[in-house]
Amino acid sequence: MREVEVSELAARMVREAVNRGFDEAAARVVELRSVMVKLANSEVSVVQRWSNLSISLYLAKEGRILTTTLSSSNIDRVGELVERCLSAASQLKPSPLYAPLPEPAPVEPLSGLVDKAVVENMADPAPLAEDLVGEALEAGAEKVAGTLTLSCFRKGLATSRGVELSESSTGVEGYLRAFIGESSGQWAVGGRRLDKTALRLVARTAADLALRARGEPRRLEPGTYDLVLSPMVVGNLMDLVGMMSSALAVMMGFSIFARVKPGSKVASERFTLLDEPRNPELLGSTAFDDEGMPTRNKPIIEEGVLKTLLHNTKTASKMGAASTGNAGWVRPHPWTLRIPAGDASLDEMISEVRRGLLITNNWYTRLQNYVEGIFSTIARDATIYIEYGELKHPVARVRIADKLPTLLSNIELIGRELYDISWWEVKPPVRAPYILVRSIHVSRPFD
Amino acid sequence: MQEDELRRAIDLALKLGASYAEARYHRLASRSIITRYGDVISYGERLSEGIGVRVLVDGALGFSATNSLSWEHVREAVEEAVKLARTHARLMKRCIEFADARLGRAKYEALCAKPFDLMSLEDKAGLLIDVWKSVRDAVRECKVMTLMCSFDESIEEKTVINSDGAYVESRVPRLSVSYNFVLLHPQKGTIQRRFSYGASGGLELLSEWRVAEEASEEAARLERALVEGVEPPRQPVDVVVGSEVVGLVVHESCGHPSEADRILGREAAQAGMSFIKPGMLGTRIGSEHATVIDDPTIPRSYGFYLYDDEGVPARPRYLYREGIINEHLHNRWTASVFGVESNAAARAMDYNSEPIIRMANTYLKPGDYSFEELIEDVELGVYIRSYMEWNIDDVRWGQRYVGLEAYMIERGELGKPVRNPVLEVTTGGFYSRIDAVGRELRFYPGTCGKGEPAQGVPVWFGGPDVRLRKVTLGVVAR
Repeated sequence: MREVEVSELAARMVREAVNRGFDEAAARVVELRSVMVKLANSEVSVVQRWSNLSISLYLAKEGRILTTTLSSSNIDRVGELVERCLSAASQLKPSPLYAPLPEPAPVEPLSGLVDKAVVENMADPAPLAEDLVGEALEAGAEKVAGTLTLSCFRKGLATSRGVELSESSTGVEGYLRAFIGESSGQWAVGGRRLDKTALRLVARTAADLALRARGEPRRLEPGTYDLVLSPMVVGNLMDLVGMMSSALAVMMGFSIFARVKPGSKVASERFTLLDEPRNPELLGSTAFDDEGMPTRNKPIIEEGVLKTLLHNTKTASKMGAASTGNAGWVRPHPWTLRIPAGDASLDEMISEVRRGLLITNNWYTRLQNYVEGIFSTIARDATIYIEYGELKHPVARVRIADKLPTLLSNIELIGRELYDISWWEVKPPVRAPYILVRSIHVSRPFD
Repeated sequence: MQEDELRRAIDLALKLGASYAEARYHRLASRSIITRYGDVISYGERLSEGIGVRVLVDGALGFSATNSLSWEHVREAVEEAVKLARTHARLMKRCIEFADARLGRAKYEALCAKPFDLMSLEDKAGLLIDVWKSVRDAVRECKVMTLMCSFDESIEEKTVINSDGAYVESRVPRLSVSYNFVLLHPQKGTIQRRFSYGASGGLELLSEWRVAEEASEEAARLERALVEGVEPPRQPVDVVVGSEVVGLVVHESCGHPSEADRILGREAAQAGMSFIKPGMLGTRIGSEHATVIDDPTIPRSYGFYLYDDEGVPARPRYLYREGIINEHLHNRWTASVFGVESNAAARAMDYNSEPIIRMANTYLKPGDYSFEELIEDVELGVYIRSYMEWNIDDVRWGQRYVGLEAYMIERGELGKPVRNPVLEVTTGGFYSRIDAVGRELRFYPGTCGKGEPAQGVPVWFGGPDVRLRKVTLGVVAR
């Protein structure tokens, strides 16, 4: 399907929905082609390929909000779904979240979202996968696991206010976990373009971390430690902050920002977190949101101060704010996050730590209480004890177990290098540095 | 029509050189209502429908999916799967093979006494609004800072055909009701609860669940926990772990590490590996009270199926039996590597997903203690009834559960509420400390995540209350 065809299909869906009796409609049509090579034990466990069309509609009738998604190329099914929604509208009361779709606003297209090399390599990604494995083994890994994914998207959007937009983009995501004996290291990259050098760096970094973490892991006593967090960890935790900055998350009780207002200090003054959809280098970048509003780069937290929640027109109307171009018809969300670089090198951060940990990867972040931000997350792969400014020995099975507001407030140093992280535990992607955080609780299980 | 297309796809794959081919038509239709306080926020309809094709070519595995049912696109999907598997075969060190299996030729439906359409949306929304009213009226000193609910119904339909002779058609309706609320006390802060009911079946489940009544009772108990809760004791104490927590423990630290693909490293870069290594069958992991079963065939269960997505008939799997690692979860590939038969653990979330090894309904086998008997000889201990935060390391050895509703046990009786006791323990530490097991088995629904792209599949996890001896509890950071 050509780019213009997806927006025409979206416009047709909108017309049909309005003709069937809805007051307002918006349609998003996405055509996706993607191929993923999944690696384990340095070989291919499966090669997967997708070719799909999905059509999503927002429908409103007398203040009722309805959405429907069809993941099928049989577009006749849309009619059935719309009819069902029409029947549903007659049985439900108006939504307090309802606000009219916005008038069309000028949207400046983003250039550089498509890289032909991504499309060309989708036919046979084997050489890229081979390169990834080879690079890690050459760098000292004994075996590797990971994935390489190449994708091509076409997105069309139309609304009953007259919006008709389209956008094409490509994406590359690669991550690798390297093993040397019981030691492991993991790294990741995501972007719009195929950058073979960046992919090789993923392989080398994963192998290098596994090398650094060799040795018998020692037990760490639970307590308070200074933490040097890698961009992988920062990405995971800032995704959580990004999710919590959605105005709907605040309304639904899933946010540390539920009891603070924009303008409040919520983090260290050294820390800034941006939603940056207009950076075409970043996976997740886009020129317009699901209501047809232009996206814009914006700080969520700037020098420690909460600047804005992320809004669509509905949450904005409810909270007396303006849309930030982050729709989600019901749930506003970040597109792609960035933390501006600081001026510290990794070595400088480590040298600042008297008693702490270098945590290079994490997973399984869960919360006891979203409003208070009580959480824990598990350190994974290379986790190295730091004493008097020097890396000492690996530790295993430790958790960061603290409060998210404490972690944000205790950020002391920001790394000068930024890394584009995208993997299983970091979505949406985050461009992140290393950071040094003071005095964070670390726990471990008893036997 | 779908059967013809699926057979044609398999024939084409074989003609193109595949040694094995499988085609699955998979349709998921779902509806949801979301409320906040007493208002409907939104209504959603979703339909996904398509065909997933999996092939073995020269020892490499290829998967391709399309949501177009036209032969042109299905043919393209088959050709691409074969081509990609073939081009990646040179990266294989050991060819992928599937173990022989007795494959099903069957058609089945999960029980559904009262179809979803027999209740109006207004009444379904009303059920959620009743949850709001009952929680609002249940608390005295706290304010309900937020309350949201969702009502989700779905019907999953599949036709699985493969070149080894399987033909399985299935239809499974599922229902789920969830709530999330935050209680705010002016001095004590907040307490948050998320909980879901879920099962396969129809609207008849609603009368069993008593959602509004139980949410109301729970809100009152949690208000007390927030207002009166004391710190957990710091010395080692006996801990009675409630069935809700036990269910999650066995899912995380028995079910997941028993997945044979994880044991072989296939998920190493995503959901991780396993402390269980090849050759560890027969190894002791816990006391004789630790028997954990995963059974897809439980009627009404959220993870119900009778044949897996490779066409293998399902049966109960005794993963730990009386404290011994007894059996892993297998698909036909891992069965081949381990030299056993598949026990039907291959599941795919939707047409877009490859079948991988998954749990279904995992539970700890009940014993014969009543709750009163579990606590009667505890001098000083803690009963952890529910949780919010949990996680486990990627080999499934170090795990953490943070209690939400919990009580002191003093001289054999329940006492004051305890604030957020932390059970952070190794897998061996947990199972070896079980010295008594309750008789009442209860199940809880969940959506288990695994795979790349991540697949969430419905599961139940459950168990009775169990007693652990001499546990050191932790506290959360304040």
